[in-house]
Amino acid sequence: MKDLLTKGIAMKDKVFVTTDVGGTFTDLVYLSEDPKTGRQQLKTAKVDTTPPNFEQGVLNVMEKANVDVNQIDVMAHGTTVVINALTERKGAKTALITTQGFRDVLEIGRGNRPDFFNLNYQKPIAYVPRHLRFEVNERINYQGEVTQALGLLPLANIIKELEDNQVEAVAICLLNAYKNPQHEIALSNAITALTDKFDVICSHQISREWREYERTSTTVLSAYVQPIASRYLSRLHHGLLEKDFIGQLYVMQSNCGVDTLKSAQQIPITMVESGPASGIWGAAELGKIINEPNLIALDIGGTTAKCALINNGEVKITSDYYIERSNVSAGYPIMVPVVDLVEIGNGGGSIAWVDDFNKLHVGPQSAGASPGPVAYGRGGKAATTTDANLALGRINPEFFCGGELKADMASVQTSLEEIAKPLGISSQDVARGIVRIANNNMVNALKLVSVNRGHDPRDFTMVAFGGGGAMHAAALAAELGIKKLIIPATAAVFSAWGMMMSDIRRDRLLTYLSAWDDQTLPFINEQMALLYQELESEFISENLTSDKTTFQFFGRFRYENQEHSIEVSLPRVLDESSIEAVRASFQQLYLQEYTYNLDNEIELVGLHLVGKADVGKVKLPKQQQSGRLIAETIKGEREVDYAEDGVHTSVIYDGDLLEPMMAFSGPAIIEQTGTTIVIHPNQTVFLDEYSNVIVELLKNKGGEHA
Amino acid sequence: MLNNDPITLEIIQNSLRSISDEMFYTIAKTAMSPIIYEVLDMATAITDPKGELASAGAGIPAFVGALDKSVKAIIAKFEPEQINDGDIFITNDPYYGGVTHLNDVVLIKPVFMEQEIIAWAVNIAHWNDVSGKSPGSMSVDATEIYQEGIRIPAVKLFVNDEPILSVFDMLTANSRMPDFLKGDLWAQISALRLGSKRILSLMNKYGKSTYIQAVDSYLELGQAMAEKAVKALPDGKYEINEAQDDGSHLFVSIEVAGTSLIIDLTQAPEQSALPINLSRDGTMLACQMALMGLIGDRQLANGGCFRVLDVKTRVGSIYDVREPGPCGIYFETMIRLNDLIWRCLAEKITDSLPSGNFSSICATIMGGKHPDTGQHYSIIEPEIGGWGAGDGFDGANAMFCAMHGDTFNCPAEIAETRYGVTVGQVALNDEDAGAGEFRGGKGVVIDYVIRSDNSFLTCAYTRNKIAPWGLNNGEDGSVNRVEVIRTNGAVEEYAMASEVSLDTDDIVRVITANGAGFGDPKKRKTASLIEDIRNGYVSLEYAKEHYGFSVMRGGSHE
Repeated sequence: MKDLLTKGIAMKDKVFVTTDVGGTFTDLVYLSEDPKTGRQQLKTAKVDTTPPNFEQGVLNVMEKANVDVNQIDVMAHGTTVVINALTERKGAKTALITTQGFRDVLEIGRGNRPDFFNLNYQKPIAYVPRHLRFEVNERINYQGEVTQALGLLPLANIIKELEDNQVEAVAICLLNAYKNPQHEIALSNAITALTDKFDVICSHQISREWREYERTSTTVLSAYVQPIASRYLSRLHHGLLEKDFIGQLYVMQSNCGVDTLKSAQQIPITMVESGPASGIWGAAELGKIINEPNLIALDIGGTTAKCALINNGEVKITSDYYIERSNVSAGYPIMVPVVDLVEIGNGGGSIAWVDDFNKLHVGPQSAGASPGPVAYGRGGKAATTTDANLALGRINPEFFCGGELKADMASVQTSLEEIAKPLGISSQDVARGIVRIANNNMVNALKLVSVNRGHDPRDFTMVAFGGGGAMHAAALAAELGIKKLIIPATAAVFSAWGMMMSDIRRDRLLTYLSAWDDQTLPFINEQMALLYQELESEFISENLTSDKTTFQFFGRFRYENQEHSIEVSLPRVLDESSIEAVRASFQQLYLQEYTYNLDNEIELVGLHLVGKADVGKVKLPKQQQSGRLIAETIKGEREVDYAEDGVHTSVIYDGDLLEPMMAFSGPAIIEQTGTTIVIHPNQTVFLDEYSNVIVELLKNKGGEHA
Repeated sequence: MLNNDPITLEIIQNSLRSISDEMFYTIAKTAMSPIIYEVLDMATAITDPKGELASAGAGIPAFVGALDKSVKAIIAKFEPEQINDGDIFITNDPYYGGVTHLNDVVLIKPVFMEQEIIAWAVNIAHWNDVSGKSPGSMSVDATEIYQEGIRIPAVKLFVNDEPILSVFDMLTANSRMPDFLKGDLWAQISALRLGSKRILSLMNKYGKSTYIQAVDSYLELGQAMAEKAVKALPDGKYEINEAQDDGSHLFVSIEVAGTSLIIDLTQAPEQSALPINLSRDGTMLACQMALMGLIGDRQLANGGCFRVLDVKTRVGSIYDVREPGPCGIYFETMIRLNDLIWRCLAEKITDSLPSGNFSSICATIMGGKHPDTGQHYSIIEPEIGGWGAGDGFDGANAMFCAMHGDTFNCPAEIAETRYGVTVGQVALNDEDAGAGEFRGGKGVVIDYVIRSDNSFLTCAYTRNKIAPWGLNNGEDGSVNRVEVIRTNGAVEEYAMASEVSLDTDDIVRVITANGAGFGDPKKRKTASLIEDIRNGYVSLEYAKEHYGFSVMRGGSHE
């Protein structure tokens, strides 16, 4: 039977499709391969996102790309549905059950006032009001021992209250459940035995780490999005099934991996940063293909810019993630595995404004998709970064948004003059100023992920993508002393492309405090074996057998009594030699990040197991050369203002016509559908065999001593 | 393109802020003590060559304008030729630029370019234990600074980028927790190294003169911002006199004259034999915080802002202590002074400030043997409490006081592991108080169940008898206190206490005040009141008595 199936499939092309629902656009990448000839086809498409029925956009983009849904073998899908439900407060009516004495933890939070001179500061409002927060008698101590049995007597009353209030989702978070979840399990079972009117989600299902506020917040936010996300995924799946989809559907997660539909529906909160995660993963995978293991990934979208460091091919996954946190708000923690990135409010739509003291600022307010930049002509009055780029001749007003829109340059000019007045400078200088300030904000963010963690950006290659990445990257790379910049061939749909490169990935993070010596080794091994068996049997139960899976352990270590830890990779089974080997790696990593070492003992704070399962990825096709001459790709030339690098007459290339092995020098502009690449003077361009645009900054003397 | 155009200057100014922030996060990540990495009881700064504060990265507002004073103390103590590239200075002594108390240790590094000081990188962090008569180095009954720990009177710690080991040895020998001390010290050193490197690269990129111009214009901007805020206040002389927990009275006179804010504190109590004294620098901090509360902007706080302030103190008073007056519990005097200025502004001068809050650090120190590991532990924590309501909003529940900022409380799960105590509850304070059209926020009730004999509690709480003040007919809040509930059921109440002995199963119950209300309670919207009752923020009884709530209410007070 199995052989027959394999043969049956072998007759047709292997088809991979990824779709990414972003705030503004829904992107698609399609890749097929003829298993006999190896002939491959790659195509991409983009349509408008369709809130609130996001699945419609997904079906639309497949239609636009002429995808035969029935032929798809694997489809991976990323969506903003979770982050949208959270930020727009459109989730389920949620209740919370905690240990006696701890229901207010959710509202108390950590007590911090980030905007500390603002005496009228308001705390973020809890997602569950106090009257829907309940308590049960029970206690498990920090060592995981039951010190007070779980009292279920009040449960009937609690359930009545929940039903009377039409609660749709219930979060359970008990004290020290990270150490021993038995009371959470018993409580959850007792509730589901009595009613099926709402979803029940326990903290230990999402997080096995300490800090009760963070875990409670995580559980509550997860419960809050559970019904809406689960329904969305079901609708999407049904929509596909109606079009005779018979392939595997995977869902993009925040940890740079995909997961099965079933798994994603159980804990949908893990999708919260899936868009940025797949882009950053795409950068890492691209690096593997073209042999660039050390990368700084930069994703500039409409509202924000995100960046992350990829060191030796590895992206860092942490559970130190918040939504809505800023200089002026404490935000909400979500303690799930999320790619370690820095995000700032600087994108193409970021609005430039002048404060009471005649200082120019850019962002974090964004014009969004509507009204959008002034140039859209949809009523936007405030100049944005995109408008400044147009005024400087970087973006072609005649080829705005891939030629789909005619830029309203008269309004752009007016908006810049509006800013110029109080500053007493020319509108051209305002446009330069906007770009320089936006760049400065982004350079500071890029330093946070590199220099600030002990990495010299000069040792890294930059990969820039997203709608605005290619416009700013060359200047940013120059500033940081980076020698090489890559704009991927699929830069405009890079999140969808990155998904195509993802494995199934599950991260298990466990707080496990222990001394690090011969005596504790057997206990740590025991705990590791337990974690490993749990995840392995989970994979096996889903038919992800050992030939498809790989595992990697990490330990989170710190000097005894310190708080923040460093992750060191561990062998599957520890032996006596591990004690010194791990200590040596810790010292080295610690020195790199913090510039000093101590003689103190190190201790283990937690374990991190990464399990991956291959979904059968297809190799990236190389692009063919047609023999086209470089001269045929030139659209003309125009004056372009490079801000700090002056004004230069620049050659304009049609990016959609460029082919592998073509080369030229800046100053130049490459216009392609979806993005514009700005090449500064003294920079050279070369297209590699995949049509990625490689920018060399050989004469770069920028950067600083890390 | 000119190098000193307004955009370039602004980019340098942004970068200065991000350098301060980077230094700050370096310490937060590497420090050994929870009071540093959780409470963020620390700050970083960059000053100009003269010690004027160019930018600050701080977890707590109290420290924003602290570090310029330490730099100025170094400049005053050392001859220019004694200050060299590769030096790091250290001080913790309020009589030598340490500003606050001996636990707060300041590290200072001059940044040189072409044999000239062009900036100072500086940071401050609270060390767990710097010796002295009590564990944790803060006792409420020290009578001289000598009892409070080792005095580090602005000395060199590094020369030529090499540590002076004898100073390190002296420091570690003078701590009950030398490992913590070493970790925290190196975290601060690491941040200074990063900061000075970053300042230099900024200067290399834009040139020395542009950099200096950017710093100067930044200070002018701070000044303009502060002048605007002060100018918005009506000119005049305003005075306030407030009774304190101990029966004494505190007095402040504020004069608004154009763009100047003159705070006269000369009519102050004599300096105390108790450790509640402020150095003049510490007093400046309280006044600067009040000023910044009027401005409200954290991003632009710099030395320029403080130029509008003129603070008058009297040597030998609690606001200008003479050596060897003890300063360990300086913070309660600082917050009392800050709150008093705030109250004077809110009651008499401006409508932009909310009513009174729990307004105390509520420093809670507990120590003993961890019942499972046998190791000595010490909990040193400020507490969170209820904030006052303002015009249009209820007071915030459970936040750190005005002296603290991006400070984090200690999770119960970490406290139980680290200290071996059992945390019985972390709840909002359900006592009724602070009624108003907009009601006061809730304080907290936290229970610590002690698990080993021979443990102790030290605490320093004010607002223990005199409750937070209401505004515009809003009612006062409740009061701060600590209860010790003995195993026989006896309840002892404390506010200022040193080394109260605790045994197994005694419960230490921290209770922090509910904030005051704003506006006439009778004007509170019925819908809001119904939600308050439903959520248990207001009891039905209290709603009837103070808000005039009745089932029939609806039209009568709307």
